Amino acid sequence: MNPKWIIAASAAAALVAGCATKKGFEQPGFAYGCPIGETKVSSMDDLVKAKVMAEGRRTTIQATEMRCSKSGDLLRIDANLNNDSKNVKRISYKFRWIDREGMRAWEEEPWKPVMLYENSNLVINTISPTNKAADFRLILRSEE
Amino acid sequence: MKSHLVVLLAAAALVGCAKEQTRYGDARSVETLTNQYGSTDLQMMAESMARSMLQAPVIASSNLPIVTVQEVRNKTSEYIDTRAITDSIRSELQKGGRVRFAVDQAGMNPQVDELKRQQSELYAKDQRAEMGQMVGAQYRLEGNIISIVKQVKDAKDVYYKLNLQLWNIRNGLLEWSDEKEIRKTTTRG
Repeated sequence: MNPKWIIAASAAAALVAGCATKKGFEQPGFAYGCPIGETKVSSMDDLVKAKVMAEGRRTTIQATEMRCSKSGDLLRIDANLNNDSKNVKRISYKFRWIDREGMRAWEEEPWKPVMLYENSNLVINTISPTNKAADFRLILRSEE
Repeated sequence: MKSHLVVLLAAAALVGCAKEQTRYGDARSVETLTNQYGSTDLQMMAESMARSMLQAPVIASSNLPIVTVQEVRNKTSEYIDTRAITDSIRSELQKGGRVRFAVDQAGMNPQVDELKRQQSELYAKDQRAEMGQMVGAQYRLEGNIISIVKQVKDAKDVYYKLNLQLWNIRNGLLEWSDEKEIRKTTTRG
C-alpha cells in the first residue's frame, strides 16, 4: 500500500477517535455534565461505576445511564435504573452530596423506596439541595 | 402426661423471661410496619417538595424571597401532623440559603409577646427590638394532603397526594405548585 494512504488513513482514524472520546466531555472535570474531578471517565459505564454505590442488601437493579446539568448554581441529575429480570423489583435509593473538599455538603438523605416493573427502566431525578454540593453519589439498596 | 406438663412449664417460663430489647435504628430507613402515613412518607414528601421549590423561578432567581408558611389541610381519613411536613420543607430550604421565612400565623403571638416585653423599661433602649420593624412575607405557602383508601378482604391500598402552592401575596398569582404521590399496598397471606 502507498505510504501516503497509510498516513492519511491513520490521521483520519486518530481524528475520529479523538472526536469520539471528546463527546460529552466538553468541559474538563465533567462527563455527560456530571462532575468527575480527577477520575478517569471515558464512557457512560465508567461514569456509572464512579457515581453509583451499593449499601446494605445488594440489588440486581443496575444504573445504566446518568446525565447532569446545571440549574443556576445547582446540579440536576437524571439516572436511569434498569430491571432486566422477569420480576418486579423493589429498591430504595438516596443521593449523597459532597463538597469541593470531599466533605459531606448535606446531611444524609432519607432512603426513597421505588418499584420497578419487570423488564423496565425508571428514571430517577433530583437537584442538589445546596450550591455547596460539587459532587454526588447515588446509593442503591434492595428492599426485598 | 408428666413430660407434657414439663414442656408447657418450660415454654411458659421462656415466654415470661423473654428479654425486651431496645436498639437505635436508622431514622432515615424505609419504614413499612403498617400502611398508615409514616416517617418515610413525611421525609419523601418534604424532600421532594423542597427540591421542586428550589427550581421555582421566584426562588431560583436567588433574590432571597420571603415566604410565610400557611396551613396544609389534612383531607385524609387519618391523623397527619401536616405542620411536620411544612417544618421539614422550611428547614431544608432555610439550610440551603435560598429562602427567608417570615413569622407565620402560629408563631405570631409569641413574636408579638416578645416584642412587647422588650418595650419594658427593664431593657436597654439601644438594644431592644423596635416596634414596627417586622418584615412581611412576599409569598405564602399552603396546600392540601388527600388520601384514597380501598380495602378488600386481604388487601388494602392507600394513595396519598400532597399538593403545595406558593402564592404571591401582593398580586395573588400562583408562582409555583407541585404534587407528590405515594401508593402503599398491604396484602395478607
